[in-house]
Formats: sequence, C-alpha cells, structure tokens
Amino acid sequence: MLWLALHFPLLPLEALPLWHSPSAIVARGKVLACDAVAAGAGVQTGQKLSTALGLLPGLVACERDAGREAQALSALACWAGRFTPTVSLRAPDALLLDIGGCLRLFGNAQAIVDAALAGCDEQNYSVRWAAAPTPLAAYWLARAGMAAICADDAASRAALDQLPCSMVGWSAEVLARLEAFGLRRLGDLGRLPSSGLRRRLGNTSVDDWLRARGEMPDPQLAFVFPERFAERLELPSRVEHAEALAFAGQRLLSALSGWLRARQRLVRNCSLQLTHDDGSHSELPLRLGEPSADEGRLLRLLREHLARLQLAAPVEAIGLRADEVVACPGDSGALFSTAPAGEGRTACLERLRARLGEAAVRSVGLQADHRPECATHLHDPQALSASTPLPAELAGRRPLWLLPEPEPLVERSGVPRWHGPLQLMSRPERLESGWWDEGETEASGDLRRDYFVACNPRGQWAWIFRDAQGWYLHGLFA
Amino acid sequence: MASLPDYAELHCLSNFSFLRGASHPDELIEQAVQQGYRALALTDECSLAGIVRAHQAAKGYGLKLIAGSEMTTIDGLKLVFLAANREGYGNLSALITLARRRAEKGSYTLQRHDLNAISPNGAVPDCLVLWVPGENASASDGRWLAERFPGRLWIAVELHAGPDDAAKLAALQALGEACGLPLVAAGDVHMHAKSRRPVQDVLTALRLKTTVFAAGYALFPNAERHLRTRLRLSRLYPPALLAETLKIAEQCAFSLDELRYEYPEEIVPLGHTPTSWLRHETERGLLRRYPDALPADVRQRIEHELKLVAELQYEAYFLTVYDIVCFARSVGILCQGRGSAANSTVCFALGITEVNPERSGMLFERFISKERGEPPDIDVDFEHERRDEVIAYIYGKYGRERTALAAALITYRTKGALRDAGRALGFDMARIDALTASLAWWDKREQLPERFAEQGLDPASPRVEKWLWIAGQLRGFPRHLTQHVGGFVMSRGPLARLVPVENTAMPERTVIQWDKDDLDAVGLMKVDVLALGMLSALRRMLAMVSERCGRPLELHQIPEGDAATYDMLCAADSMGVFQVESRAQMAMLPRLRPRKYYDLVVEVALVRPGPIQGDMVHPYLKRRQRKERVEAISPAVDAVLARTCGVPIFQEQVMQLAIVAADFTPGEADQLRRAMAAWKRKGGLEPFEQKLLAGMAKNQLPESFARRIIAQIQGFGEYGFPESHAASFALLVYASAWLKRHHPQVFLCGLLNSQPMGFYSPSMLVQDAQRHGVMVLPPDVTASDWDSRIDENEAVRLGMREISGLSQAVAERIVAARWQRPFAGVSDLAARSALQRRDLDLLASADALRSLTGHRRQAAWAATAAVVQGDLFAAQPIEEVAVALAAPNEGENLVADYRSLGLSLRRHPLTLLRRQLAERRFVTATALREAGQRALIRAAGIVVGRQRPGTATGIVFVTLEDETGLVNVVVHPQLVEKQRRELLGSSLMGVYGQLQKEGEVVHLVAKRLVDLSAWLGRLETVSRDFH
Repeated sequence: MLWLALHFPLLPLEALPLWHSPSAIVARGKVLACDAVAAGAGVQTGQKLSTALGLLPGLVACERDAGREAQALSALACWAGRFTPTVSLRAPDALLLDIGGCLRLFGNAQAIVDAALAGCDEQNYSVRWAAAPTPLAAYWLARAGMAAICADDAASRAALDQLPCSMVGWSAEVLARLEAFGLRRLGDLGRLPSSGLRRRLGNTSVDDWLRARGEMPDPQLAFVFPERFAERLELPSRVEHAEALAFAGQRLLSALSGWLRARQRLVRNCSLQLTHDDGSHSELPLRLGEPSADEGRLLRLLREHLARLQLAAPVEAIGLRADEVVACPGDSGALFSTAPAGEGRTACLERLRARLGEAAVRSVGLQADHRPECATHLHDPQALSASTPLPAELAGRRPLWLLPEPEPLVERSGVPRWHGPLQLMSRPERLESGWWDEGETEASGDLRRDYFVACNPRGQWAWIFRDAQGWYLHGLFA
Repeated sequence: MASLPDYAELHCLSNFSFLRGASHPDELIEQAVQQGYRALALTDECSLAGIVRAHQAAKGYGLKLIAGSEMTTIDGLKLVFLAANREGYGNLSALITLARRRAEKGSYTLQRHDLNAISPNGAVPDCLVLWVPGENASASDGRWLAERFPGRLWIAVELHAGPDDAAKLAALQALGEACGLPLVAAGDVHMHAKSRRPVQDVLTALRLKTTVFAAGYALFPNAERHLRTRLRLSRLYPPALLAETLKIAEQCAFSLDELRYEYPEEIVPLGHTPTSWLRHETERGLLRRYPDALPADVRQRIEHELKLVAELQYEAYFLTVYDIVCFARSVGILCQGRGSAANSTVCFALGITEVNPERSGMLFERFISKERGEPPDIDVDFEHERRDEVIAYIYGKYGRERTALAAALITYRTKGALRDAGRALGFDMARIDALTASLAWWDKREQLPERFAEQGLDPASPRVEKWLWIAGQLRGFPRHLTQHVGGFVMSRGPLARLVPVENTAMPERTVIQWDKDDLDAVGLMKVDVLALGMLSALRRMLAMVSERCGRPLELHQIPEGDAATYDMLCAADSMGVFQVESRAQMAMLPRLRPRKYYDLVVEVALVRPGPIQGDMVHPYLKRRQRKERVEAISPAVDAVLARTCGVPIFQEQVMQLAIVAADFTPGEADQLRRAMAAWKRKGGLEPFEQKLLAGMAKNQLPESFARRIIAQIQGFGEYGFPESHAASFALLVYASAWLKRHHPQVFLCGLLNSQPMGFYSPSMLVQDAQRHGVMVLPPDVTASDWDSRIDENEAVRLGMREISGLSQAVAERIVAARWQRPFAGVSDLAARSALQRRDLDLLASADALRSLTGHRRQAAWAATAAVVQGDLFAAQPIEEVAVALAAPNEGENLVADYRSLGLSLRRHPLTLLRRQLAERRFVTATALREAGQRALIRAAGIVVGRQRPGTATGIVFVTLEDETGLVNVVVHPQLVEKQRRELLGSSLMGVYGQLQKEGEVVHLVAKRLVDLSAWLGRLETVSRDFH
C-alpha cells in the first residue's frame, strides 16, 4: 500500500480561479487563508480581519464559501482519477490517492508525484504532499509539508516521530494536555504507557496515532465519481474578455479529463456554459473530431474557440458539461453500465428544443418585483426556478401580455390614444420602485409611473402608464 | 389655494418604529407644518419612545401633536390608539407596557383579551381608536371592536394609489355600514418625504434579513406613505373622510406638558414634609461631621443651600439619593456621590460625598442655580461588584411598578450604517467588514472613497454611490433601546402610566422608553447608580489596613496632605492609582507637580481630550510654573478663572464665563453646554459664537481673549470635564495614592482582587509592586485562598483567582478542605475538595500543585489518576505505572505561567534574552532613563500597550516592558505607514530611536522598529490595545 496525500492549504482562496492580490478569505471575522503577498505583510490564519487590515490596508477580503471549496475539491478528485481509481476526500482541503496499485502503470511513485504536482501547478493550486504506507501518515506528513515518499513502515514511523503534535489537527483540549505533559513530538507518545495515554487523551487521538503507524486498520471512504460530468466555477470578479476564461476553463478540463480516465471513457462532445452578469446564459460547444480524454487536446480546442468568441456581456460563472461520452476501447464497462433514469419528463421539451433551437424554447417564471418588466423572467426550461406567487391584491390586475418595451402613445388634448382615444377605466395605480439598480447597465432602474386600465373605441383593453415623459402602452388584457 | 381641504394625519410612524419608519420625529413635524396639516399624531409601533422629541419639535413650530401608538394583536387586528387626555395617555402607556413586558426585548405581544373592557367606558378608556382593517377584515371583528371602544372607534381608510383604490374604498364603506362605524382618512405614514423611499426599502430588507433585490413584494410598491400634499389627498379621498380627521384631532387634547412628576412618598417618614425631613437629617449629619462646634460659615452655607433647595423643590431628590446611600452604608458598600448637586454642604452633611466644600472652596451656586432650571445632578458611584445589591434594594423598596432604568438610545454610527446599508444592498460581508474595520481603527470618514477603491470597489459606480448615500441617511437613526448605565427613575404612582416600560436583555431589569435627554425635557428626574471598580478595590484595601492596624480606617480618615504621597505622584509613580495612572496622566504629573488636593482636581480634568484639543494644557502649565504671567482681563472674568491660573479647564467655568463675560442668561449658558456636547456630531455652535463675540465686545473685553475662549470651547467639545465630578474623583485619587505609598502589599492585593479594572494587567501591577520591594508568591493549593492576601511574612500570596478558568467555588472548596487538615497528596486534594478533572488540569498548568507533586508536568500527569471516577469502579484504585516526565526548563515554565496566570514570578523573559539583546546593543529601561537628552539609543521589550489617541494625529504610543520597567515609545505617522507589520505584529519589539526628555518624562522617539518576536519562542504576551 502506498498513499499519496495532497493537501491544498490555500484552497479557500484558490477555489476562486482568479483573485486580486493581496487577498484573504475570511470566515466569521477571522482570516482563514491568504495569498503570499498578504502573508508577506504579516497576515496570518486566525488573525482578526481588523488586525489584518491594520497590517495591510489594501487587503481584499472575501467571505468564505464552503460550497465553492467542496466543489473545487470534488473537481480535483475527478482530476486525480487519472492517477488512480481509488481517491478519497479528506474534507475540507486534502485528497488521498491510493497509488499502490498504479505504480507499474506510471513506472514508479516519484513519476506519479511529479505528474500530480505538475497538474496542480497547471491548475494553479498550491499543494503540500507526502506519500506513506498509511493514509493518515501521508495526510499528516503532507500537512507538515514533508514533500517526500516514505516507502515503508520504518521510514514512515521515523518521519511521524519527528512530527510536532500540534500539526496533526487534534482538538485543543488534547493539545493542551500534551503540552502540559511536555510532549512535543509524536515520537514522545511512544515513550509513555499507552493505557495511561488513552486514559488521559481519550480514544480518538490514540487510535489516530495507531492508524497512522499502521498498527490499526484505517479503511477509507472512496470518492464516487459522478455518473455525469457537469462542474461549475463561480468567478470572483466579472470577466470581460474571452481569453481570460481560459484559465478557469483549464481547471474544468483537468477535472473532466481525470473523470474520463477514472471511468475509462472518452468524450466526443462537451460544452462550456457561460453565465453572464445580467443573468443570461450562453453556451460554447466543443466538438472533438474523435473521442479523447487528453487534457492538452481539449485545452487547445478551448483556446481556439475562446480566441474567436465575442462576449455579449461579462461572465460571472462558467460550467463544463460532458454531453457525449463513449466507452474507451477495452473498457470493462460492467461496473458502470446502468443507465441514468428519469429522462422521459423532459423528452417533449427536448424535441421542441431540437426542432426550434436551444434558445427558442423558454419557460416563464414569476419574480417578486414591483416593476412590471421585472416581475417575470424567462429561463431555461430545464432549470428549476423558484417562483414567488403574485400577491393576492395584484392577481387579475396585471395583463397577460406585456410588451417587450413600453410603447409611447400619442396624446391629444390630454387624452392618450391607441387606435383612437383611450378611456381610463381605473384609478391610477402608482408604482415607484427599483432605485437599487438605477444607473446600472441592462437594468430597469428606478420607475415612477401611474398605471391605468384603459379601453379604446375598438373595445381593446390596454394597460397604460404615465410618467414624467408622457403616456405609454405597456400591456394588453386578453 | 383656499380650496384645499384641512387635514390631520392620525397614523404616522417615525424611525422609533425601528426598521420601519424612515424619518426622524422632528422631520415629520417640520414636514407636517410645511404641508399645512392641522395636527399630526405620532403613532410608533407599541412605543412612545419618539414622542418627547416630537413634542419638543411640535412646540417649536406650534403644531398640534397627538400622542398615539399603533399596535397589532397576535391574531392580526391592527389598531391605532390616540390619547384624548392625560388619563388616555396613561392608559395607552400602561397598555404598551403590558404588551412589551410579556415579550422579549424589542418585541411585544398584544392579545385580544387585553382589549376586554376594564371600565364602563370600555377598553383603554380616553383613547380614540382607529382600526386599520386588513385584506380579509370581517364585520364581526368590527362589531367586536365597536363593543370595546363605544363611540370612539373609526375605520381608517388608507389609500396609497394601489392596484384598485376604488374597490378598496367601496369595501371599507361597506364594512363601515355593516358594523355601524364611521370612516376616516389616514396615511400609514412611514417617511416625511418621498425621497426617503430607498431608505424605507433598505429598512424593510433589514427587518426581513434580506436584500432589497430579494425583498420583492415585501417592499412598498410606491412612496405614497409620506406626508402627502393636501392637494394629492383631496384627489384620493372623499372630502368627508378628510374632514373626519379634524374631528378626531379636536377630541385629542393631551399635551406632554401636562405630565407631572411626583417623587416617591416613602423617603419621608410620617409626620414630616420633605423639607422638614431634609432639615432633620442634615442637622443630624452636621453633628456627626462637626461633633464639637459648627463653624459659623458652615451654618450660613447650610441655611443658604437649604433655602435654595426648598425654593426649587429638590428636597425629595436629595432624600432619594440619601436613602440609597444610607442603604449602601448599612451593608458596607463603599460609595461616593459626584455631580452638580453632590458637592454641596448639604450632601457633605448627609454623607453623600466626602468632598468637604470648605476644603475645595467651591460654591454651591456654581453647581445649582435657581435661574438655570436644570434638574440637579447627583451621580453615585458604588463598588462595581456590589452595585447589583443596590439595584435590588431600589427595586425592592419602590417595587417593579414604580421604578425602572432610563433607556439609552442606540443610534446608527457610521460603521453600523455602512454595514447595514451594505448588507441590504447585497455586498459581501467580509468586504463590508474590511471597510468598516479600517474605518474604526485607522481612518477618518473623509477617506471613505479611498477605502472603497482599496477593496476593489469603484466609489463612482452607481451601487457604491447608493450605498454611501443610504449609509449617510441611516447615520443617527435610532436602532434600539438599551439600558442606561445606571440612571433610575422612580415615581409615586405606577411608572407605566407616565412612560411605557419594557424589558431588557437582562431578565431582572426593566427600562422606560425615554432616554436621559427625554427625561430632562419632560422634567423627570433620575438618580444615577453607577459602578466604579476603584471603590471595590478601596473597600478591600481599607478593610485590610483596618485589620492589620487593629482599628477601623475609613475613607475620610486617611490623613490629608501627606507629603510622601504627593512626592510619589510628582515622580509619576502612579501605576494602579485611580484616574492618574494612564500614560498621558503619568506624563503630566511631573509637570503639574501636585502638592495639594485641588491640584489633583485639576490634574483629573486636565488630561482629557477636551482641554488637550482646546489647547489649555500648555498655557495652564506655563502659568502654574510661573513662566508666564496670568493676565488680568476683568474682575468678573478673573474671579471665574483665578483658581485655574486664568485658563478655563472645567465645563462649569465655560458656562460661567459666558454669563459674566458675554451676558448669557444661566439658561442660555446651559444651552451652550448642551451645544458643546453635540457640536462635533451636529455642529450648531455658530449662533453661540456670534453671541459670545458680541457679548464680550460689549463688555469691552479684548477680542484676542474672546477668540481664544471660543477656540477653547470648540476644542472642549463633548469632552469637557465638570469640576463637580473631578472634585469627587480627586478624593479617590488621593486615597488610592496614599495606600500605594504607605501600604504597597495591601494596594496590590486590593487591585488584584478587584480585577478586571483599571489600565494595567495583573502582570504589570505585580511587577510594579515587586519593584517597590513587595515580595510576591505564586498560587499554591497548600497556601492560597481565592483572593490574594498578605501572609505571615508580609509577602503577597497570589490567590487562586489568578488561575485562568478556575471557578471561585472550586477554590473555596479547596480552602475549606485545607482548613480541616493539610493535603496528603493530589488524590487527597481531589477527593476532599470534590475536584473535577478539568479543575485539576487548571491547577496543574498553573503550577499550583507543585508542593504536592513536583513540577507541573508531573502534576498534570498525576492529576488524571487522582480524579474520582464516580462510576462502578470508583472503589477500585487504578494501578498505574509511575512515569517520569522531563521537568520543564525556565523558558517553558515562563510560557506555561503566562498561559495560565497571565503573569510569572520567575525571572522576566527579557532577563533570559538579555545577553542576546546586549549583543545588539539594546539597553534596559533603567539604562534608558540615565541616558542623555537626544541620545540615539536602542531599547527592546514586550509590547504591553499600543495606543492611538484621537488627540494626537496619527501618532501611535507603544509601551514596552523589560525586566527593569517600562519604556514609552512614540511612533510618528510616517513610520507607522512604513512599518505597520512590525508595529502591529510584534510581541517583542526592538526600537532604534532618539531619547526625548522633559524633566522626569522620558520618551523614545522611534526611528526604526524591529520585530524580535521570534526570540520569545512561544512566549505569549498579552498586549492591551486601547482604541
């Protein structure tokens, strides 16, 4: 057995694919991780944010997002699938790779390590690593930054003995007790009777110690590679140029390629989904001439596409989905052959979309906003949308058909006209709302209008409003 | 526009309906006047907290104000109560109290049965009631209400240009007919003007803990809930509904001016009037103070004061305070009064204060005057650990119904406003924290845009602009009510009929809905019951001295004018002494050279931001040291300033100057005092400035003098310190200094046993005592009590209270068990003192078991085995192999001492590093004092304090501690910028600097800082950062 532990000390920060330096991730008012520039100025983990800012007034602080870290870690696990099918997550920030069975494939352990480190580097993750016969020893030594392979128990135990007790992540109570006994290094534990230690430190830490030394079994929960590949990355700041997306895209492609290897698949079609800051989406299909799992090839393809791409709006998040996956020649297949169920629900929509084009089919959802043009939104029929029901007093008072843009109406002697003079059928309903996005691009901004239900000589019922500019037609009642 | 209908707004919320109303009461009043309303009802939700402010504003504008409140029952009946007269006001206040007292702080619960008729006239008599029907209002609800409010219930029609106002009006008209109820127009006003709509939306989002983007239909659809023009109202409402508002307004005849405050009766025994009882008790006190013969001048003063008190009818106030002080005396709680009325001969006779007015030469009128009409002010400080007993006494004596704490109104400051505005606008909280944190500690408000830019936000982007604008609007908005530090209000009748009472976060305390300023405005009096740590320490010290000398020593028996004590103060040897122990005070002492009591009064008041910013310190010192002549201005002015060498130092002097030099009336002088307190926040000193200049010109005073006085008043700002407080504080300064000088062991024990208090950590106090020759011994289970005490050999044995985390009960069990017989070992200790494993761990890490087990590691190991297991096998002793753990070395012991005790009695850490330090030419604090002026020199020490006073622009003061004493370092702003990391990050700091000496005051002006923390290894030190 040989386990390679990869510890990502800056994962909270680096899970953001792009950040401004100096940056720090903050959880509950304290620094959780910071980049090298910040560290150079004296910013440290555990420091109060106010202290950190005292040291470095220009520090950019972002709130921790545990979900984003978990996503990044599972993407890394997918990527690690290229080395071994047995990967375990050590939440929140480490991976354990059982590389014992793959040594022959790669030549030797060092070759795997080199490849893994190069991969981390390409994806811009800082990493600490160690390899040892037990998963816990590898993990502890990686956290301590050992960066070496302990091929056998003897080497591993010798290395463990030198490890400071404070490195292994035991509870503060246990650490305080070890400190009180004057036990600094793990090796010091061996000199004391283990029953006496157990009584004083509790079972957890003594068991940990035995597991790390290989004196107690330590089964690991294997990472389950997803059935379908779809990963998403939130960008920390809006990206305005397509080329800048290559970096984030590369991480996703790395994960895809690892996932393909672990599952012994090749991809033929995949697509990059871009979420724009105005809430719209666009897709960039990547089609391969022949199925492949080669990251370099995928990346070249992506770069070519990005070079030609004009972004309609700045991008907030990108996602990668494997659309068509084929079995590798020689794939044993049996393990994963069960097909995903539950596709019938959307079959009709699928067909519609196939006929009319992806963008032509949209669902209408309600959105809680007083501004009529913001009260509904169009979304991808597959995406679930949380619709807020209309308040009771508005029900029946909104037209079914809203014009895409309010249409100016001619006014003659104070009366608005639309196919003849409009008779006002209601008292004014005043809407004044939306100051919060006033002045922002593509936003409705602050509206101040008096709405009326009106009727023209043809008997058509219209929803019209008056604002500082004049009269407008905004909707039609059925 | 003669045809505009008249209107009175009867349903209007201010920002005292927290997170609902978006305008201040005075803004609403002003706007109502502008719109020509006939009256305005302020109807905050279950609250009368804003009514005093509204009342003051309405009086100024001559607008009729109606006191009211909006309340919603738990099943959704929304009602607006309006007080028709004093009785109705009392009933409403009582109803609010009922609903508030049964709910948690900040909320209320009104149940339907609360509205059951309590009199033949129905529920909440003498209140008019508007019912605001909800969407599904039923006629049965209407009839139910009509029964309870016969002839005084209306249906409020609130039209806001909604989706279908016509239908809404028709439905309400039908409802009115069905229940036989009249209709009236109302506005459900949430803001004074339309322009507050964004603020109102933000408040709504904050109330719902969401953002304005996600708040959706919870936001109002438009800005109609403002005080609308009568033109607009005339278009929305039928005329009859508008006319009805006036009928209701006419029926409301109550004004806050009608409130009459009455003192509790029980302070005067049967057969006495307050006047006769005050006289009686004063005479009794005089006999005690002057057992032999009463000097004629004292008699004269007493007569004069009693006459004044009687004229102003303040007897009951003096007697109330006297009663509380008597209680404290009777149970041995040390207390002392201060404040305008406290320094009277009457208070001296009553024992409220120990300041003998004879001794200070101060006049009663300086503090209390007939014309000024301000309520008398006596703050009483009690021992901080025993104030709760006093509070319990007050509640017990007057009952919960008749006493409560004054409120303190918490308003939005810049930081909170930015945070909340940012939260509602959906900004990342870490970013907001980043902005507000740097704002708090390092920067000023003008630099906000720069800070935004640093956080990657464009200050010119629309959303950031909105953020700043809204934060600006929110500043000063009331946020919640909390309890005043100690201001009690007591009344003769139920307090809740005077002002609503609500709960606080502390279950045993209640507060009224008005704060100190409101109380002043309405003429209610409060007694301040404050907590003071030094009194606890002094009581302990006095008790210890009494025990050691075998005769009781009381505060007033401490010998006056002791030269040795003043010598010590002149040498700035004042660590631990009340008030004068701060670094700034220590720097002042050798310059001011106090030799008598009044010097201490000046010392206390002088080192304050006010006199420093007003540039009063240097002129005063120069004149005091006779380096500058005291110029004569005019006889009247000189009389005011004579005792402070012609420089105004006290708040009272400024007021008196305004009177004698610029012809202010005493009332105007009092306004000036209030304006001074507020001008930093609001401005508004200009009219006073003009008046001062004009007045002084008229009195032919030199303009240069006038200008200087005005500059000093501005500098004074809210930090002016009253002489009446300084006089009382100075007594405690002297008493604590005398104890430090003559009983250093007692002084140390008293301070340690009263922690936390004061400026310095126990570690620094212990070192200071050691430097004064006091022997200090570590905590030990075989010798220590809970408190530190003086042992048979005159050494101070530290108490187990110094052990971090150990509880008093545990320590007391140990002491009790030890009394029976000495401990045979750790097991015996654990068994007989019923110790838990955690307790033993704490004792072991404090090295308090050393007498029983040897060094702390051995003790820690042994501790586990010694604990009684308390299970089936309890009887079975665990057989353990003995282990031998390596003894900790000196450094390790130091680390462990600091971690557990926060101090160490071993060698100072710097002793261990001295050789290394000497190699790099760092000298000790002692050597530093001996070096010459302007010497280039290096010092190093543990950082025990970093301070950035608001008065010294950008300068940071650092205090370093080494084995010989303290080094005061001055870091100039340029160096702060350059060496932030070293400045803020070092626990052991080296300073390359230049010496600056002024008499005995030595500062090291830093040229370069080096971080030597790594030398300490893991030695943890605690720096006290004073912001």
